Amino acid sequence: MTSIETIRNFLHARQGIETEKIVPESALADLGVDSLMMLELIFEFEDQFGITLPEGMKSPKTVGEMVTLMDGLIASRKS
Amino acid sequence: MSQRRVAITGLGLVSPYSGDLADFFTRLCAGESAIRHLSTDDRPRPLSLPFVDCPGFDAGAALGKPLASMMDRFAQLGMAAAFAAWDDAGLPRVADGESRDDWGVSWGTALGGTQAYENGYRDLWLNGRDRLSPLTVLLGMNNAANAHISIQLALGGVSMSHTVACASSAIAIGEAFRRVRSGEAPVMLTGGSDVPQAYGVARAWEALRVMAPGDADTSAAACRPFAADRRGLVLGEGGAALVLEDWERAVARGARIHGEIVGYGTSCDHSHLVRPEAAGQIRALGAALGDAGLDAADVDYVNAHGTATAEGDPVEVASLRAVFGARAAGLAVSATKSMHGHQLGAAGAIEAIATVLALREQAVPPTANLGPDTLDPACAGVDHVFAARRGVPLRAALSNSFAFGGSNAVLAFRAVPQ
Repeated sequence: MTSIETIRNFLHARQGIETEKIVPESALADLGVDSLMMLELIFEFEDQFGITLPEGMKSPKTVGEMVTLMDGLIASRKS
Repeated sequence: MSQRRVAITGLGLVSPYSGDLADFFTRLCAGESAIRHLSTDDRPRPLSLPFVDCPGFDAGAALGKPLASMMDRFAQLGMAAAFAAWDDAGLPRVADGESRDDWGVSWGTALGGTQAYENGYRDLWLNGRDRLSPLTVLLGMNNAANAHISIQLALGGVSMSHTVACASSAIAIGEAFRRVRSGEAPVMLTGGSDVPQAYGVARAWEALRVMAPGDADTSAAACRPFAADRRGLVLGEGGAALVLEDWERAVARGARIHGEIVGYGTSCDHSHLVRPEAAGQIRALGAALGDAGLDAADVDYVNAHGTATAEGDPVEVASLRAVFGARAAGLAVSATKSMHGHQLGAAGAIEAIATVLALREQAVPPTANLGPDTLDPACAGVDHVFAARRGVPLRAALSNSFAFGGSNAVLAFRAVPQ
């Protein structure tokens, strides 16, 4: 599964949002992602990809920013 | 300070019979059991016991998926019951201009979100995971149900939970009643919910040897309060809620008033954790009558705590005999737990609803699985209701809740002409 698929699946299951509406330009706040749901999303990524997000990292604002952040962490885990 | 009268304007529950409130009461009056045989695939030894669940409850459908996914099942049942009671009261879910800053929630739960923590233990110790969902604390906390209710109904006053074992929601209702009566809150949403089928909880109850046995064929009649052949209690899950409202406010908006809550008495046996004592129950009964301004002669029905344990039932009847004296022999008493089981922290609320409906419908539900020939002589001395009664005038009624720990709570209600 890719990073954007993980975000889409999570938000569809949790918020009932149609997956095609979740695009890189979407602001996470507009999709209903608050600080608590951000923790859940991070948990989801850590769980699925075996990564660990560093403490104190800056929260992504958009779906695209989150994908970039996660792809970077996944790549560094693999290397 | 002058006391306000307190109207009950909303009733709601998640019924173990899957139907609505009217259906729930009809089935109680028919003596129909909601007890089924529960069989799980838990490791290391599956549960196999009589139990009352709510098979018709679909949290996602009742609450919507985003809300349901933020809750443990005890909060889901509580939220659904609260919505039902709110709708029944004819109050809009969204505040319509009025301030709800002094409207509150008083909720009862014995176990809270125990299931969320149990799922966590299972993940950590059984499934070898090393992390838990960030929602676990928010699912598990005991005040999750009342917090969600306050948020969903925009209630800005007190939001609290009461954990008093089997008396949790009776005490929650009593404390809510006091706040409306004092004028502190014009409206209180109250009730309780619990989900005791967590594996560790059910096993712990089994170890106390107070649970009635039963299989697929015998479970329906497993709970036999006051009967000589009673074998113990039957646990169940559930959620039940009431809207308590300032009487004048309720009348002014033309609300339907199901009944009036008029008294609340509490006490502690202060003697033993599990062995009930008549003296403590007698004090609670007396306090409720005094608080309500009722004489023993005014009370026409008592919904008993009646769990069908060997020790509990005779003590409760002895307490009623002591308080009601010569009137006891003619006092209608029934234990509806024989049909809906023991919902722990929700039991007081479910039985309060059964009591209010008895007054409203002028009909007394029976104790199922009990007859003159099976009545334990140690439980004799009150007018046990073996089959539903209609057409007998009911003016006032009590609902008893006597908890492990020795905490006693008695609620008093008056009929309101419909």
